[in-house]
Amino acid sequence: MRPDTSRTLQGVALNLLTNVMGETRTPFGQQTVGIAGQLLFWIAEECERGADRLVVENRATRQLLSDGLPLAGTAAKSVEAALATPPAADFRISSLQAENDALRKGLIALHAAVESVDSDEARAFNERIWAELVESTKRRQFAVRLG
Amino acid sequence: MEDRLEKYLAAHIPTATVSVTNLLRIPGGASRETWMFDAAWDGPNGPETEAFVLRKDPPASLLETDRETEYAFYSTFWGSKVPVPRMRWLEPDGSILGGPFFIMDRILNVESNTKAPQAPPYLAVQAELARNMYEILGAIATFDWHGTPAESVAAAPSADGAWKKELDHWQAIIDAQELSPQPIIRAAIRWLRANPPPPAQRVSVVHGDYRVGNFLFRPDGSIHGIVDWEMAHLGDPLEDLAWSLNESWQWARNGRPGGIVDRPDAIVLWEQFSGMKADLVALQWWEVFCHVKCQGIWLTGARSFQEGRTNELILPMVAYSLINAQDQSVLRQIGRL
Repeated sequence: MRPDTSRTLQGVALNLLTNVMGETRTPFGQQTVGIAGQLLFWIAEECERGADRLVVENRATRQLLSDGLPLAGTAAKSVEAALATPPAADFRISSLQAENDALRKGLIALHAAVESVDSDEARAFNERIWAELVESTKRRQFAVRLG
Repeated sequence: MEDRLEKYLAAHIPTATVSVTNLLRIPGGASRETWMFDAAWDGPNGPETEAFVLRKDPPASLLETDRETEYAFYSTFWGSKVPVPRMRWLEPDGSILGGPFFIMDRILNVESNTKAPQAPPYLAVQAELARNMYEILGAIATFDWHGTPAESVAAAPSADGAWKKELDHWQAIIDAQELSPQPIIRAAIRWLRANPPPPAQRVSVVHGDYRVGNFLFRPDGSIHGIVDWEMAHLGDPLEDLAWSLNESWQWARNGRPGGIVDRPDAIVLWEQFSGMKADLVALQWWEVFCHVKCQGIWLTGARSFQEGRTNELILPMVAYSLINAQDQSVLRQIGRL
């Protein structure tokens, strides 16, 4: 769709914040319009990047689960179950999110297991998990920050 | 809503008719709808008017809390060194206004906006504001709650069990409310369980949401009301100090708690006014815990909106902005970011 969805949402947001908010009568109404505008900026950004963010993260998480399986101990079944999750059949956000949820559930089980192992290999792998968790927050961060 | 409110007040004030004016929903209040209004009626000595605030349960919100508990904690502190508005009526019947509610006196000519202390005239009195904030928190921490309404609604934990009671409570909320797995918060919970804090120095009233934004102040830096007691409970007073330091309330985004005080100064003030020690190991535990608790609140709001139980836009805004930010706060707290 052109103009791009993200650009259109930005335009709607700017209209709400510049043309509508000031004309709104009550403080609560103004707050609601302001929040709607801010949300639209974020949704515009997520529309553009959401599928890519999830595809990248699902690939990285799947790799971690695969590499960490030998360290999973009693959590091996949970990790195997997560790994058995088929890749999303399409690129709908809901499909990619469902895959992400299954993989990250397995990652929690693997992380807990790795933390309980006293070895250099486990400690190194623990650092790999933390590095991915840090990266996951960067993927979710919005560029636009208002207020 | 004016008509229904007039009918309700007429049944509770010894008068035939009550007139409600200036009914306005107050911005903020993500957990309960907050409205202000004026009421006028003919009293025995002539016309009377009073300013009120109404807190009403929404269909769904950031928090699923008991209004009776909040009402009891407000009532507990009425007339004490901890300034609170006077409670007037508690109404559990949801059919009257579309949700259970309570009504309290409105404290006039005060400010509560979180951004206000960053601009004149409040900018010049930030130090006074911070001093008063922690002096009142000291009064809450040292308050003798035995025999008060708070005791009848809140179970007191043991000094060495206070941390576990709160962690169990908020972990259960996260278990029930998360829409997606939360690997960072789960790691934080594992760390909290593996590294319990020392016993509480005393079992105190914990406000539960003590921060800039939840008190009413004037341009001279004086504080005239502590509000939003919906998460109040009995527990370790360090929880309130840790909560006040949380990054989520660093409104000026300059690392200063509440945007009004340097962190070391806040800790010194709390120690001075509470007479207790803010052990840094214990404080670190409670700060990590407060991130977990925050996440429990944000996740509850996200689910409420996702499931269509509310269309309050503040809930997705909080979810979009704060769930990831809180994860990053945890990472910073434990030295991973």
